[in-house]
Amino acid sequence: MDEFQEILQDFLVESFELVEKLDEDLVELESNPEDLELLNGIFRVAHTVKGASSFLNFDVLTHLTHHMEDVLNKARHGDLIITPDIMDVILESIDLMKALLETIRDTSADEGIDVSACVARLDKISNGEAPSAAVEPEVEDVVEETPAEEEELDYDNMDPDEIEAEIERLLAQRQAEDKAKREAKIAAGEDVPTVPEVEEEQIEDKSEAEKKEEKPAAKKAPAPVKKEQKSTNKESAKAAAPTKRTPAAVEQTIRVDVKRLDHLMNLIGELVLAKNRLMKINEDVEERYEGEEFLEELAQVVSIVSLVTTDLQIAVMKTRMLPIGKVFNKFPRMIRDLSRELNKKIELVLAGEETELDKSIVEEIGDPLVHIIRNSCDHGIETPEERVAKGKPEEGTISLKAYNEGNQIVIQIDDDGKGLDPQMLKEKSFEKGLISEKELETMSDKEAYTLIFRPGFSTAAAVTSVSGRGVGMDVVKTNIEKLNGMIDIDSEVGVGTTIKLKIPLTLAIIQALLVGVQEEHYAIPLASVLETVRISKDEIYTVEGKSVMRLRDDVLSLVHIGDIFEVERILDASEHAYVVVLGLGTSKLGLIVDTLVGQEEIVIKSLGDYLKGIEGIAGATIRGDGGVTLIVDVVALMSMAKDVKSTALSTPDEGASGVKEKTKPSDYTVMIVDDSKTDRTIMRKALEPMGLTLVEAADGQEALNILKSGDYNFDAMLVDIEMPRMDGYTLATEIKKYNRYKNLPLIAVTSRTSKSDRMRGVESGMVEYITKPYSADYLASVVQRNVNFKAEFL
Amino acid sequence: MSDKLKQIIDKQSEQKDSVVEQLDDVVQLVGFMIGDEEYAVPILAIQEIIKPFAWTRVPQVPNYVLGVFNLRGAVIPLLDLRTKFGLTPKKQGEDTRFIVMRHGNDVAGFVIDRLTMAIRIKKENIGPAPDTVSGEDTIIDGVGKQADKIITILKVNKLLERTF
Repeated sequence: MDEFQEILQDFLVESFELVEKLDEDLVELESNPEDLELLNGIFRVAHTVKGASSFLNFDVLTHLTHHMEDVLNKARHGDLIITPDIMDVILESIDLMKALLETIRDTSADEGIDVSACVARLDKISNGEAPSAAVEPEVEDVVEETPAEEEELDYDNMDPDEIEAEIERLLAQRQAEDKAKREAKIAAGEDVPTVPEVEEEQIEDKSEAEKKEEKPAAKKAPAPVKKEQKSTNKESAKAAAPTKRTPAAVEQTIRVDVKRLDHLMNLIGELVLAKNRLMKINEDVEERYEGEEFLEELAQVVSIVSLVTTDLQIAVMKTRMLPIGKVFNKFPRMIRDLSRELNKKIELVLAGEETELDKSIVEEIGDPLVHIIRNSCDHGIETPEERVAKGKPEEGTISLKAYNEGNQIVIQIDDDGKGLDPQMLKEKSFEKGLISEKELETMSDKEAYTLIFRPGFSTAAAVTSVSGRGVGMDVVKTNIEKLNGMIDIDSEVGVGTTIKLKIPLTLAIIQALLVGVQEEHYAIPLASVLETVRISKDEIYTVEGKSVMRLRDDVLSLVHIGDIFEVERILDASEHAYVVVLGLGTSKLGLIVDTLVGQEEIVIKSLGDYLKGIEGIAGATIRGDGGVTLIVDVVALMSMAKDVKSTALSTPDEGASGVKEKTKPSDYTVMIVDDSKTDRTIMRKALEPMGLTLVEAADGQEALNILKSGDYNFDAMLVDIEMPRMDGYTLATEIKKYNRYKNLPLIAVTSRTSKSDRMRGVESGMVEYITKPYSADYLASVVQRNVNFKAEFL
Repeated sequence: MSDKLKQIIDKQSEQKDSVVEQLDDVVQLVGFMIGDEEYAVPILAIQEIIKPFAWTRVPQVPNYVLGVFNLRGAVIPLLDLRTKFGLTPKKQGEDTRFIVMRHGNDVAGFVIDRLTMAIRIKKENIGPAPDTVSGEDTIIDGVGKQADKIITILKVNKLLERTF
């Protein structure tokens, strides 16, 4: 059973590849009916699919392709001229063939699709037009019909041995057929058609190919020998043919399962994260061991690792790249069908098909392009009469080109149709209630063009099968934005419209700007960041309850990132803030953040099923320190910003709510921070008689953690200056950042007595400065004074 | 496929069946405390148990969703069972653990107050969930009776289900 599946898989992969090429070739054929090379190519596809499907017992598919082959064969011999009507039937049959292949892929059987009508039409063409030229098709009829007449074998109920025998038999049969066919053709005095070309030229996934060969060989000795002989015959015959026939360069490729590439990409992602981490550690080490010799060596290694990682990342990204031609291929056919349907004359010009994009993007970009092109055909290009009346060439042109621009791919769709009329767009939108009266007046032309992407917008008078439902362009916008891309429209009435889609090269790894708000960090995709500005609080104005600022000549609406992500304001807001100006198409927004952390390459990770769809969050990334940072979804953020009321830099109320009336001495809580156990004990002994609650911490970091945990409500802190990890000054500065602790008395207890030390103490926010040694009474009285110790407790 | 191979495979599958049968009447659970109640989940649903470490808050989620954390490169949600069960939040202490549970492709970490022990309990000692909470929506799978106490057994798939 496995072997059958394997062969089936190979057959499907090969067939889909061939069919993909077919559409484009066929449309070209219509304009160049004499091109023998093209005809031969198309004939070969039909032939290959027929051969393989008959071998695999797909009778319906064989039946259909067989008749296609008849028609194409006649055309190839010049017995039949391809007219658009004939082409319609051929295209129809190819659509059926695709549908059949898809059914086979999904169900492993080719039932459920009726091909008889199409076959009848094909027959009519091949008989009606040229009844006499039937020599060859007859030969093939005899050969090919044999497998079709055989009884359906039930593979599911066979045991492995039987299946093997059956495959063996079919193989032999198929080779005999091939041979007979070749002989017949050679007898008829024509070239040997090149059979499955692709198979020979591409190095198949090695293990699979080997398996195919080896398994039968190991089982039954006599048959395989015969078979191998034959296959060598066959191969040499085939190998000779294509080299003569196809002068086009043969691509050296390996077919690799996409899953392997995805896995590789994930591994690279991990590597990038590790690299980021390594760089961070390197920075820390540099700081701590400044001037040490080994630092240079370390720095060298780090930079090599980072360089190689970047190169590796690019290399792997490239393996995932596909030429955009894969998507473009289907458009000639689409334009052809549309122009016949709409009775317009349209020419499609393709350029830059070789431009490469990440596979996942290539898959996503197809639909939006279909919608844009349909739209251009239906609304853009005028009817031939109108065009002639306007003095334009009768045939309209749509050009589709792709090119690189920096880190982005630009796909540009131009048409020379009637163009967009901004005034008309605005009025239509106003009629449909999509924009307000104010917008109607103030909207710029550029903004008006983007109205066509609004859901529910359509200028078509009637809904046709092509467009008019007001859905398509909305799909375009959402899909492109999903890819972190941007859309740019330009148009001139009567001359045409240009739509540019700007899409990042890859989705998995992006450049991001890291920003900080309070104690949290967020990553903003750099592609959406236009600039960053440092402002002071009084540059922010409030208009109609929204914050705005003046940026050069423009007014920029502002929103605080903390308001959008419900960040608790625990740190004191500083006098200054940063504004990250986000741009998406024509709309702009200023995002207020507390700090700018820097630019970093981040790997996008999904938040998983449980947390998916959180508004404003596009995913998460893992940072150099191992922590998780959320990635901002700029599109969603812009729409969320509309509903956020301004609280921008306003300072929340003092966090004094938790203060309770002191009823006993132990309600007073004092923290003792000192790295020396002895010193802590001395202070404890001095204060214990008062009955206070005492909490000890061995250094600044520990003290800060205790404060942050919020377990105690401290009334004062005794702080040593010299401490490991975090010294007293730093601790004081950190504490003063928190609103809650702004008024917490900090008392320095230290042996440093110089004036400059005292000055630094005051600067960092200490209220008292006690020098060691001190008397227990003195310490107690200072503490009493600072905690407002009630006299009755004494 | 040769007959010999077939025989071997048949034999293996037979053995597997009998092993499953033996295990069938005993359920292995891991017990933990949330507040004053002891709960348990099947041991096979647990990917790992780790000591608490830093996580990142996620906005716009119910309060029992603490955020996400980095589990060896994967970003995993962290849920607080105390809050989810309507208890007041408690500071994480010495005994606090994150239990990472998996059901199919869904993975999440759960904060619990304290681990108790691994429990082997006979199927016949597991009663259904009390009538008042039974039904499709309950997260209680059943009640395990032991000599001196009863343990609430939770449905892992329900715990991992997003309910907002």
